[in-house]
Amino acid sequence: MRSRAWFAPLGAFLVWLLMLGGCVGRPEGEPVTLVFKYARILGSADPLPGLLRAFETAHPGVRVKGEALPWTSDDQHQLYVINLEGRSPGFDVLMLDCIWVPEFARAGWLADLTTHLTPDELAPHFASAVTAGTYNGRVWALPWNMNVGLLYYRTDLLARYGLRPPETYEELIAAVKQIRDGERDPALEGYLWQGKQYEGLVVNVLEAFWANGTRLLGEDGTILPEPARAADALRFLRGLIEARLSPAWTTAADEELSRRAFGDGHAIFLRNWPYAMDLFQAAGSAVRGKVAFASLPGRARGAAGAGSTGGAHLAVSRRSRHPELAVALARHLTSRPAQRAIALGAALSPTRRDLYHEPELVQARPDMPRLDGLMLAGRPRPVTPAYLLVSSTVQPEFSAALVGVKSPERAIADARARLDYFLEGIR
Amino acid sequence: MTRREAVNRRRGILLMAPTVLALGTLTVYPGVWVVWLSLQHRHPIFGVSRFAGLDNYTFLAVDSRFSSAAVTTFVFTVTSVALEVVLGVTAALAIHAQQGGRRVALSLLLLAWAMPAVVTAKLFEWLYHPTAGLLNVALGGHALNWLGDPRLALPAVVLADVWRTMPFVAVLCYARLLAIPAELYEAAQVDGAGRLATLVRITLPMLGRILLVAILFRTLDALRAFDLMFVLTGGGPAGTTETITVYAYRALFQTLQLGFGSALGVVVFALVMAVAWAYLRLLRTSTVTA
Repeated sequence: MRSRAWFAPLGAFLVWLLMLGGCVGRPEGEPVTLVFKYARILGSADPLPGLLRAFETAHPGVRVKGEALPWTSDDQHQLYVINLEGRSPGFDVLMLDCIWVPEFARAGWLADLTTHLTPDELAPHFASAVTAGTYNGRVWALPWNMNVGLLYYRTDLLARYGLRPPETYEELIAAVKQIRDGERDPALEGYLWQGKQYEGLVVNVLEAFWANGTRLLGEDGTILPEPARAADALRFLRGLIEARLSPAWTTAADEELSRRAFGDGHAIFLRNWPYAMDLFQAAGSAVRGKVAFASLPGRARGAAGAGSTGGAHLAVSRRSRHPELAVALARHLTSRPAQRAIALGAALSPTRRDLYHEPELVQARPDMPRLDGLMLAGRPRPVTPAYLLVSSTVQPEFSAALVGVKSPERAIADARARLDYFLEGIR
Repeated sequence: MTRREAVNRRRGILLMAPTVLALGTLTVYPGVWVVWLSLQHRHPIFGVSRFAGLDNYTFLAVDSRFSSAAVTTFVFTVTSVALEVVLGVTAALAIHAQQGGRRVALSLLLLAWAMPAVVTAKLFEWLYHPTAGLLNVALGGHALNWLGDPRLALPAVVLADVWRTMPFVAVLCYARLLAIPAELYEAAQVDGAGRLATLVRITLPMLGRILLVAILFRTLDALRAFDLMFVLTGGGPAGTTETITVYAYRALFQTLQLGFGSALGVVVFALVMAVAWAYLRLLRTSTVTA
């Protein structure tokens, strides 16, 4: 008799194991719940709860649960990968960084939206945002918000020396020298950008590549098709730091570190995304009314400058139990009224071009019309399902060239060799 | 075997069953699976899943990023553990010698240890801030590029780790110090031993065993170090703070090279096992001789 008592804990343990393995299904007939995964929106007022309630009102019996994603992009990606690869039906609509769309589409984690769309439905969006949501000729994600690399400059300092915003890096360097010679302020830095070893570094190097007339992946998929030009671009970036035109800590700088230094009034130029403008113009900012933005510079006798585009898309999980409703929700959130509400309430820029000239929006954010042209001229990072593999492989190499551990040529050669091996493995 | 022995035996097996089952499902099964994965080209995004033999391991042998990560892991482990032991013992002796306020000192010490690694990393991110960071302000004008200079980044990470985990060593040593019988010190005094002789001949030898245990724990932790460098530097600049674990994380969770990433995981596992085995042997021989 006594020995039987030992079966109880063992039995409980087995039941617990079974519960771990079995998925508990939702009973039929209950109200439908859609789960929407998104990153918290920063800004004066988060417009999302209102937009989700509006969808519920239009679809009786449907409840939308907005679930916040982790804070960093790395963590968001990891959460998605674990859940989607594990075939979790945990979410219906997902917010994706544009660089993940081809990857997730290739993996078969997303529902094909092509057949749900009317022929011209995506025409009002920036073409580059539509391209970013398209893979193998099918649409996998709807454009939601848009980003582009910009050159911020101090209007007061440039005006004091009769300078116009630079169109080439050569002009930018000349302007930095002239202004710093005149200001005699040792704390005033020249040009701030992002050189920490992370995704932002790749974006900055890509922009330098483009200004130098080359790219990371060629049309036919060749890796770094013009190594000499690429190395030259890296040497140029390293030179900015060596000549103290950019501070030594550029090699540890991310968006926020550089944004704060510029926002405190300690720099003449800054490369950053559109979100920074709202913070510079906020009450109490040291540079309020003294900042404007322009296109990133090109190189003299080279290509015109272009900022890298970025942004977020909305996709529908292939595991969604209610695909029709999920598509409707993604559509609702990317609609004109929704993007307008988001642009008004938060520091996110729409993907619909006509909103950049809408009177009320322009009144709230006077830079909108200028931003339109810069967004249009922006260039996407390589659109490939292997983007993260490419990016994480080149990051330490680019960083090594910036800090001077490797020569630019060596860094480019090493990046090519490693990518060759890894990309071979996925063919 | 008597009937009674048979019953006992059966009960023993039954008692062990949950543990064996739990360890089997939670440790052995995933472990074997990782080794199996490491022998494959496995890339869920691209639908690649084929046997690779030792390909992943042979690539590791020529992979400069891996050798750099291995060196970083080694340097990080040796320097951080050495500093933690020296400072930890010093702190323990200092608190032990203190007349009052021991409780406060211990609590303050434990505060650093109780903080999650990510919080510590964020804290040090501000301390190392190039223009507004306390360290650079304290150094006055000589703005050091803590996290962006390939020569400074790893020492900066080591410093943060030492600050966080030195209390662990200190508290263990302090507990041992309390247990050293007072008669030993009295006898030393009678024999005319000075303070230095007492420290070297009595206190430190008495700390030996507990130090070995502390070093074992700390070494195993340091070999798997991840959070501090991941948050502080992301492995940069130029990969100088990338440990094998950070490299494995990137391969497994960011680029989904499951086969290659598993090979890295297996290397970390082998490393940890080898070190643990060596220490345990050392511990056993020191028990025999003690």
